[in-house]
Amino acid sequence: MSVTRFIHIWRQRARSLFRKQRLDDDVDRELQFHLEQLEKENLEAGMSATEARRAARRTLGNVSVLKEECRDQRRVGWFYDFWQDIQYGIRMMRRRPGFTAIAALSLSLGIGANAAILNVGTKLLLGDLPLPDAEKLVLVRVLAKPALQVSAAAVPDYVAWSKGNQTFESMGASLASQQDLDGDDTHPDPERLFGQSVTPSLFSTLKVQPQMGRVFQEDEVQVGFAAPVVILNDQLWRRRFDGDRTILGRQIRLNGRSVKVVGVMPAGFIYPNENSEFWVPLAFTKFQLENSAALFTVTGRLKEGITARQAQADLESIRSQLVRNRQDGNTVRGVFLVPVRNMWFGWILQPLLTLGGAVILVLLIACANVSTLLLARLPARQPEVAVRLLMGASRGRIIRQFLTESLILSLIAGTLGLAVAFLGMRSLAGLQHPAGGISIPLMGWDGGLLGIVALLSVISCGLFGFIPAVVAFSSGTGLKHVTAHRRRGRLSGILVSVQVGLALILLVSSGLLLNSFVRLLLDDRGFNPDGILTFQYRIPIADYVRRFGSFHGMPSVEIEPPTLQIQQVYEKLKTLPGTDFVAGSSAPPVNVILPPTATVLIEGKPIPSTAEERAAARVFYFLVTDNFFDTMRTPVLNGRNFARQDTRSSPWVAVINETMARQFWPDEDPIGKHFTVDAVFGEQQREVIGVVRDVGLQYIRSGPPQAVAYSLYLQQPARYEGFNGGAFGQMTFFVHSNLNPIVLESAARRVVAEVDPARPLSNFQTMEEYVGDGIRRRRYAVSVLGVFALMATILAAVGVYGVVSSSISQRTREIGIHMAMGASSRDIVRLVSRRAIQLIAIGLSWGILASLFLSRLLETQLWGITATDPMTFAAAIALLIGVSLAACYIPARRAMRVDFAEALRMD
Amino acid sequence: MPKPSDLLQGTLDLLILKSLAREPLHGWGIAKRIQSLSDEVLSVQQGSLYPALHRLEQQGWITADWKDSELGRNAKFYSLTREGKKQLDLELEIWKRLSSAVGLLLKRA
Repeated sequence: MSVTRFIHIWRQRARSLFRKQRLDDDVDRELQFHLEQLEKENLEAGMSATEARRAARRTLGNVSVLKEECRDQRRVGWFYDFWQDIQYGIRMMRRRPGFTAIAALSLSLGIGANAAILNVGTKLLLGDLPLPDAEKLVLVRVLAKPALQVSAAAVPDYVAWSKGNQTFESMGASLASQQDLDGDDTHPDPERLFGQSVTPSLFSTLKVQPQMGRVFQEDEVQVGFAAPVVILNDQLWRRRFDGDRTILGRQIRLNGRSVKVVGVMPAGFIYPNENSEFWVPLAFTKFQLENSAALFTVTGRLKEGITARQAQADLESIRSQLVRNRQDGNTVRGVFLVPVRNMWFGWILQPLLTLGGAVILVLLIACANVSTLLLARLPARQPEVAVRLLMGASRGRIIRQFLTESLILSLIAGTLGLAVAFLGMRSLAGLQHPAGGISIPLMGWDGGLLGIVALLSVISCGLFGFIPAVVAFSSGTGLKHVTAHRRRGRLSGILVSVQVGLALILLVSSGLLLNSFVRLLLDDRGFNPDGILTFQYRIPIADYVRRFGSFHGMPSVEIEPPTLQIQQVYEKLKTLPGTDFVAGSSAPPVNVILPPTATVLIEGKPIPSTAEERAAARVFYFLVTDNFFDTMRTPVLNGRNFARQDTRSSPWVAVINETMARQFWPDEDPIGKHFTVDAVFGEQQREVIGVVRDVGLQYIRSGPPQAVAYSLYLQQPARYEGFNGGAFGQMTFFVHSNLNPIVLESAARRVVAEVDPARPLSNFQTMEEYVGDGIRRRRYAVSVLGVFALMATILAAVGVYGVVSSSISQRTREIGIHMAMGASSRDIVRLVSRRAIQLIAIGLSWGILASLFLSRLLETQLWGITATDPMTFAAAIALLIGVSLAACYIPARRAMRVDFAEALRMD
Repeated sequence: MPKPSDLLQGTLDLLILKSLAREPLHGWGIAKRIQSLSDEVLSVQQGSLYPALHRLEQQGWITADWKDSELGRNAKFYSLTREGKKQLDLELEIWKRLSSAVGLLLKRA
């Protein structure tokens, strides 16, 4: 087609659209002219005036049909039809505002919730990450054989990999680091900072540049030495240094050491997680270079065109050689690559799938519901459709009109849905992320979201609008009234049972989550987190170590445990007003990634010699203060608690848990028995004085109970040579009180600063927050699903109600006759609700089957119950039956009050 | 009396284009021209002329202008566009081929 013709045609189209009136007038004049000419000709041929006009009309044909045909040639008729349909649709909606509001609201909730989840999911799981070319970044981890737990990598592995690999552009290692920043003039309080020690190669692997200054240089780390330099993140720079642009080169004090600021990373740079506020160079010690403590996070950038699988094979072969050369017994099964995206956002997959499944059901229910409502309105619109068909509207035109009405409805719903999506994304952004992950960024409106909402609106329009449109069209035509009515009834019946079934699936899933959540909250974990504030006090091991060494191939230390220093802090905290119990422990009793362990030698039993025997003699081991069990409200089951009488100079004692008692003294009373911890220099035998209830080491998903031993903080060697040196310098405190945690926090900081102004308290959290990691995510899923399930139930009830009331209005006369014949009110209720009960039964049956199948997908999120928990199923079914029977009963009762005389007269 | 056979689809378009080939005409004029050219053998259903004219206009083969007619009245005159002329040649070609083919067929039958 040539350009000029193309332009010509489009000019014509435009004229047809915008100059409609003028064109219509033109056609009138043109045809009028023709008629006049014909008339004149006829007159000249000798006809009478009337005859001439009539003949002219005959020759030309039906003028209004011609005009219509001419107009059709313009090819924009669809547009006017569409416009007309829209105007008509809007009129219909305004006539039934209640219906429109309910339909639009329920649809908008479905559309908005789906859009929020789709948008967040696609952006985070498929979209760009805040690191250049992040698809090529992977974390390298090793699978340790004994427990097949995923762990980080050891230094020898990292060194061998970065030297020997063929598949990575570069690699870097990092290790979490905590440093106490000294106060200065503008910010006088010292502060515990969380950051990372990183190899200089990490920044080049990430391909990031600081906004100011430089990254680390290779010569800033040597074996056993790291240059005293630090890079800050944007947030720390602004918070502690007021965004001072002259910060480069300034000396700041970290852990009492003077360190030079060499760079500030750009805002938005996160690695490896959100709470890394600073980076210091990581230098390996000679010991680390030979030893295989798998503590380091290794990040690598894959070469162009290399798959994760190839890289994994490459690293595995390097590692297997290494393991062969090294007889350390710590055999490792394999190497495991985790894309950075998975580390950050892998955790959102499960909540998004759970919520996504729920909101898809909600949208389907809303569509089915609107569809039944539309079907219920059809009889009222029958005359209108019939008239339109008689006036010459085509069948397609009728379907189109109904679909247009549905489209308007779904677009209104979509617009409201945008607001719902916005709120949904806000609430998802508040979702608490697990360790290692980062939180969902707050997202706003954008083209992607608009597109998703538009798409969902159109899809749901098709879902709920199709059936009513087709039924409207077929019942308006040749089909007999009765047949059409029956078909409509059958379809709305199917839709209602679909709604009931879908609602049951939602009720069962949210019921399962709720049930396991309640169990999770109520389960006896051997302690009570209510009213406890927890925080940490730490003396870096460097401040009390005398010598590093190695013992049986493990890193060991010779230290003087800073017991008195810690005791001072403890005594100070006990003076806090408004508190009843204060206690400390070398590590929190729950939710520690690697809880401290020790090997115990039982008096009178053989010393474990093989690796297996040693493993069997390992228990989890905490150093605590005397009030520990009182503060945690852990019941003492046998024997006695630690008490004031247990001092530095009294005989050493220990408290063990039920599992340890069972495991080491299966048929004896453990009280009065003795054991020694880690046969190391400085340790003494301890007497078991009490047995306490098991405290699960993980708040959620504890697994089988583990043996735990507790000893008193005061009863520790004055000089110690062994492996647990770091445990002596740190104390997690627990303060039980009714005070506001914020008030308590500042009071605690103040009293501790009186004895140790240099070392700030850190990690302030209520115990509920601390153990709640993961609980809040569950609570979120439970409450969101609960709301959706409730909504689904209400919608299903509305559907049932609709079916019953329409069946009543169509059977008024029948009911009247029954009543006249002496039927009881119960008979009438049975008569009108029989069909609804059938539909509910059908819906429940398929809903139960589908739930049995689908609930298995929730299995991993359940706690203490199975995915087919009969109680939950029964409760969900009972609830749904109750609600839908109520929805039957209300209109049925109304039916009983029908005045039968009037009903019979109605005709 | 048998009705004059309905014009083949497309034939009307061809006749309209052909009658406009010499000079711009209004609808009435086109009707008259077709009638006289065909020696009254083919009678165009006069009404069907107008939808056809509008179709051709939409397709860009012809354009229309309001002008004073020789009959003293303002009338809508249609004229061929350049594209329309090309289209006419093309359709004439097709027509010739078709008619000779049909002629041959009828002769053999």
